[in-house]
Amino acid sequence: MTESSAAVTTRGLTKRYGSHTALHGIDLDIPRGRVFGMIGPNGAGKTTTMRLLLDIIRPSAGELHVLGENPRTGGSSLRRRVGYLPGELHLQARVRGRDLLAHYAEISGTVRRGTVESLADRLGLDLGRPVRSLSKGNKQKVGLIQAFMHEPELLVLDEPTSGLDPLVQQEFHAMLREAKAKGQTVFLSSHVLSEVQQTADDIAILRSGRIVKLSTVGALRETAVRHVRVVVADADVPAARTALAAVPGVGEIAEAGDAGATRSLQTTINSHVDAFVKAVARFDLVDLTIEEPDLEETVLGFYGTDETATEGER
Amino acid sequence: MTRVLPLFRRNLADTWRGLAGWTAGILAALFLYLPLYPSIAGNGQMQDILESLPPELVQTLGYDDITSGPGYAQATFFGLIGFVLVTIAAVGWGTGAIANDEENGQLELTLAHGVTRGRLYAERTAAVLVKLLWLTLVAVAVVLVLNEPAELEIPLDGLLATATAFFGLVSLGAVAAIAVGGMTGRRSWALGAGAGIAVYGYAVNALGNQNEDLAWLHDWSPYSWAYAEDPISEGWVGLIWLIFAVAAALLVIGWLVFRRRDVAV
Repeated sequence: MTESSAAVTTRGLTKRYGSHTALHGIDLDIPRGRVFGMIGPNGAGKTTTMRLLLDIIRPSAGELHVLGENPRTGGSSLRRRVGYLPGELHLQARVRGRDLLAHYAEISGTVRRGTVESLADRLGLDLGRPVRSLSKGNKQKVGLIQAFMHEPELLVLDEPTSGLDPLVQQEFHAMLREAKAKGQTVFLSSHVLSEVQQTADDIAILRSGRIVKLSTVGALRETAVRHVRVVVADADVPAARTALAAVPGVGEIAEAGDAGATRSLQTTINSHVDAFVKAVARFDLVDLTIEEPDLEETVLGFYGTDETATEGER
Repeated sequence: MTRVLPLFRRNLADTWRGLAGWTAGILAALFLYLPLYPSIAGNGQMQDILESLPPELVQTLGYDDITSGPGYAQATFFGLIGFVLVTIAAVGWGTGAIANDEENGQLELTLAHGVTRGRLYAERTAAVLVKLLWLTLVAVAVVLVLNEPAELEIPLDGLLATATAFFGLVSLGAVAAIAVGGMTGRRSWALGAGAGIAVYGYAVNALGNQNEDLAWLHDWSPYSWAYAEDPISEGWVGLIWLIFAVAAALLVIGWLVFRRRDVAV
């Protein structure tokens, strides 16, 4: 992938605040027209990365290109092509939503007539009310509208659904899909996977300023841990245990007595569903359950290594 | 669509209530003080009172020439109550321009839009200076209106000179707050710089007034640059230009740091 075709490219992007290093040289390639999700625990460096893209803060080292330009030199004309929603949204309180958005429109890319109203309709926001009287969720809608209204080539959204109710979240996801269909690129962050899982094509897991996993949602799902349970007759238990243990990637096998003369064996498997099914197929199964892969658990696994690594660094 | 000076207009729109309040305050101060001149200073009683006061106090307050009309307007309004009032407004607006906006988190979103930091800095500085100019012009207009009825006999030339000095002096406090806000992004530092430079100028001037041995202190006080040579009677004298030069230098330094540093950290 060449730099001009990528919406965002970073190489060894590093940000230090005094002795504290917030980003340890990350490499990112976000192709145009994709929805790219970044997840990580609090303080992993998500907001720092996004602020670097907008030239609100400056990198300590490394390279950074946004829509083919360096944010430092691309200046205001580059930022007109980007829509940004800060993670901690603070808005001027005394003005009405409509006036505030009109102000942002003046210092933003061209906003087509009627866009603000139609976005406000979709999200269910009353533009005539003063911003200070709006709830957190409604303020977040103002933030979303100012990010989307000029139909920017790149949307940088820091925890975009924070404070939104589930219905509005659905509408927001629809807005993301439409943006993607129009060829816009979306870079969003979250500290929960489910949000990214529903909307993103690609995923980066960040912890302590490092990318620990770069993957697609599909690939992550394939490698994700699945909980499985087989119920067999008492007599088959030893043979079934042996067969299960031979499946690659299988976890601890737990055994529980069921009502009657059967026992259930529970364990976890990773991607080897086929091997698992074939291994248990030769028994007389009373029941078989393969749960949906739990991405949250997979991701928490990455967060977990984070904590131990952080402990080690201290 | 981009119309002209969006940040300048936004700043004025956000602060017009404050501006209206300060305008009312300036009007009240002028209309309370100036019409009293004939009854207080005109009949010689004031001279008696001044002579009974410790000379240090009289010099600190700048009341040595209070028995003339220009001296009275200078000592009461331009040198004291007006200076204090408008400096408070100036430092408040100056702190609001960058530092306050940054600390409350709004600056980040504005800068993420299609504006450069230099433009934001320039437009917001301009908005603050325009508001201070407005307050100065209000004062000039009221003095002109009351000049005859209150028997002040202030020469126009002197009024314009002292008003210019006044504008420079209050602008210096505002600019110090803007520049330090631009450099640090901290509200308390910006506020401290703006208020500090005003208090410093006034205190050093008052010390310099005490006796001949301390008169050299006037060289180091913006307040003295503005008023020591008595512009309201004498016209364009003193070091009024130096105040503007220092203010401009502060602005440039603030801008140079502001455009380089990280915002909102």
